Amino acid sequence: MNITQAIKMSAKSIFSNKARSALTMLGIIIGLAAVIILVSYAQGQNLAMQRYYESMGNNKINVECYGWSNEDISQALYDYCLSLDNIAGISPSGRINSSPPVKYGSKTLSPPDYSSMYIGGGAAISIGGSSGVVDNYPTISLGNDQFALCNDYKIAEGRDLSYLDVKNGSQVCVLGSATAEALFNFADPIGQTITISGMPFRVVGVYESKAGKSTGGTEESQWIEESIARLDRLILLPSAMTRYFNDNQPITSYVVKVNASKDIPLAITNLSNFLKARLGEGMFSVYSESVWQDQQNEASKMQQNFLGGIAAISLLVGGIGIMNIMLVTVTERTREIGIRKAIGAERRSIIVQFLIEAAMICGIGGLFGIAVGYIGTLIVGKLSFNTILIPSPGVTLGAAAISVALGIIFGMYPAIKASGLQPVVALRAD
Amino acid sequence: MLIEIKDIYKIYHEGKESEVRALDGVSLSIDRGEFVAIIGASGSGKSTLMNILGCLDIPSYGDYILNGTDITHRTDRQLAHIRNREIGFIFQGYNLIPALTAYENVELPLIYQGISIFEREDRVMAALEKVGMADRWKHRPSEMSGGQQQRVAIARAIATHPPIIMADEPTGALDSKTGKHVLEILHSLNQEGSTIILITHDNGIAATANRIIRISDGHIIADGTREEVGL
Repeated sequence: MNITQAIKMSAKSIFSNKARSALTMLGIIIGLAAVIILVSYAQGQNLAMQRYYESMGNNKINVECYGWSNEDISQALYDYCLSLDNIAGISPSGRINSSPPVKYGSKTLSPPDYSSMYIGGGAAISIGGSSGVVDNYPTISLGNDQFALCNDYKIAEGRDLSYLDVKNGSQVCVLGSATAEALFNFADPIGQTITISGMPFRVVGVYESKAGKSTGGTEESQWIEESIARLDRLILLPSAMTRYFNDNQPITSYVVKVNASKDIPLAITNLSNFLKARLGEGMFSVYSESVWQDQQNEASKMQQNFLGGIAAISLLVGGIGIMNIMLVTVTERTREIGIRKAIGAERRSIIVQFLIEAAMICGIGGLFGIAVGYIGTLIVGKLSFNTILIPSPGVTLGAAAISVALGIIFGMYPAIKASGLQPVVALRAD
Repeated sequence: MLIEIKDIYKIYHEGKESEVRALDGVSLSIDRGEFVAIIGASGSGKSTLMNILGCLDIPSYGDYILNGTDITHRTDRQLAHIRNREIGFIFQGYNLIPALTAYENVELPLIYQGISIFEREDRVMAALEKVGMADRWKHRPSEMSGGQQQRVAIARAIATHPPIIMADEPTGALDSKTGKHVLEILHSLNQEGSTIILITHDNGIAATANRIIRISDGHIIADGTREEVGL
C-alpha cells in the first residue's frame, strides 16, 4: 500500500467517523485556544506596565541631598559621575517651586484651579474638560544637557539644552510635545519666545511624544496612559534658573542614569560613598526606582507563571480530552485493526494509516485552535486593554505543537497496541 | 497438497495449572478443490484450528506447509501477505468495518494487495455481483440485514480470488433460509475451484461437504466422507 492510498484511507476514516473526528478536534481546539488566550492576557497586562516604566526611563538612580549643606555639590557630583564608567549621565531633577503662568503671545497656560477640585482631606480628583478646567499646565523642570538622556526623552525638533546653556544660565527652554502643541498649535515653536513669570525664554527644541496611540480601556491602563501623557507636558529650563525661580537654593535632587540595570547596585554604592564624604552620613539618600520596578516585574513574572500554569493545566485537560476520545474508541478500533490484519494489512500500513489520520485531525484541529485563540485574544485585548493584542508566535507554536503531539500520540496508541497482536486476538476485542 | 499441518499444538498458559490444550497434536492435509467441514462441540478446538489454518494465529508447536512451502516461521509481514493473497475469510459476526460502505469493505483487501483503482473497481463489482449485492454497494453494514452483510463479507473474501476460503460458522447468525443461500454461494465457489474450509457445529450444514473432520478436545476423532464420519 503506497502513501497516497494511506492518505485516502485515512481521509475516508475521518469522514466516515464524523462524530469521533469532530470531538477529537474540539478537544484540541478548546485546549489550544485556552492556552493562547490565557498566556496572551498575561502578556498584555505586562505590556501595559512595561510601557509605563519605559516611558519613565529605565536604569535610573535618584539622589536626594537633605539639610541645607551650604555647598552646592552640583558640579562635583557631575564631574564624579562622568568619571565613572558604568554611569551614562546625570541631570538635576529639580522643579520650580511656584506655578507661574506660562505665556506665548495671547495664549496663557495657568495651573488648574485646585480650590474647586479638593474634596475633604484634599485628595485631588481629575476633572474632565466639561468642568472648564483643562489640565494642560506643564511641569517646569530644571535640568541640564543630560536631562533627556536620564529621563528618556528624544529631541523631535531643534536642539536639546547644551552644556553651555546650563553653565551660562541661558534663557532657553525645551518643550514637551503636549506643551508645544498647547502653546503653538501647529506653528513652529523653534526660535519663539515664551514668558514664564514674566521672564522670557527662547524655545530651542521640542521633545518627541511619549504617549502611545490608544487611550481608554481598563482603569489601570487608563491611569498608566494618563501618567505617560503627563510626561509630555514639560518645560525644561537650564538648572541654573534655580537662582531666579527658587531663591537661589541649590538643587538637591538628581537623577543618574546607569548603562545597564546590573550596574545599579555598584553605582548606588559609589554615589553613597562619594556623598558620605561630602555631606556626611544620613544627609543624603540614593535609591533606585528600578528596585521597585524590579519588584513589579517580579510580580508580573509571577503572574505570568501563574497564568502559564493555568495554561499548562488547560492544555493538560485538553490533552486528556483528546486522549479520552481516542481511548474510548480503542476497542472499536482494535476490532477494526483485527479485521484489517485478517484481510492482509501489514502492521506498517495500519500504523501509517492511523498516524496520518491522527495528524490530519490534529492538524486541522490545531489550525482551528490557533484561529480561535487569535480571535479570542483580540477580543480579550480589546475589552481588557483596549489595544490590539496578538499572541506571541512562540506560545502559539509551542501550545500547538504540544496539543498536536498529544493528539497524534493518543491517536496512534490503538494502532501501535493492536497492530502487534495476532489478528485473532484483535478480532476478539470487546 | 494445498495445506498440510503436522503435529500442531496450541497451548495456553503452558506449564501452569491452568494449562489448556486447545489443539493437542493435530495433523491433517487438505487438497486443492476440497470442500471440508470441520465440526465439533463448542470448545472442541475447531475455531482454534481454523485460526491456525488461516494464519490468524500461530501454533505453539508443529509445522504448517502451505502449497509446498513451510510457513511455520514466517514473519508477521509475510503472514499478512499470505492472508491477503491465499486466504479469504468469512466470519460468523461478518466483521465488516462499520464506517465503510459495502464497496469500500470489499475493496480493502485489494488495496492492501496494491491493485490499481481501475482494476479494483471491476473486481469489487464482480465480487458483489456474484453474491447478489451489486445494487447495495453504497450501503453501510448498519443499513443491511445479517444475510446481506454476510454476502458482502463473502464478496470481500473472494475479491482477491484466493485459492482457499475459510468460513467460521458463516450461517451461525442467520436464519435458515439466508443460511442456505450463503451455503449455496460457498458450494458454487467450490465448483469454480476454490478450496473451502467450513467450521460449523450444525451437522446438517456439515453434511453438505465432501469431507468432514470431527474434532473433540483438541484431537481429530474422525475424518472422511459423510458416511465414514457417521452423519
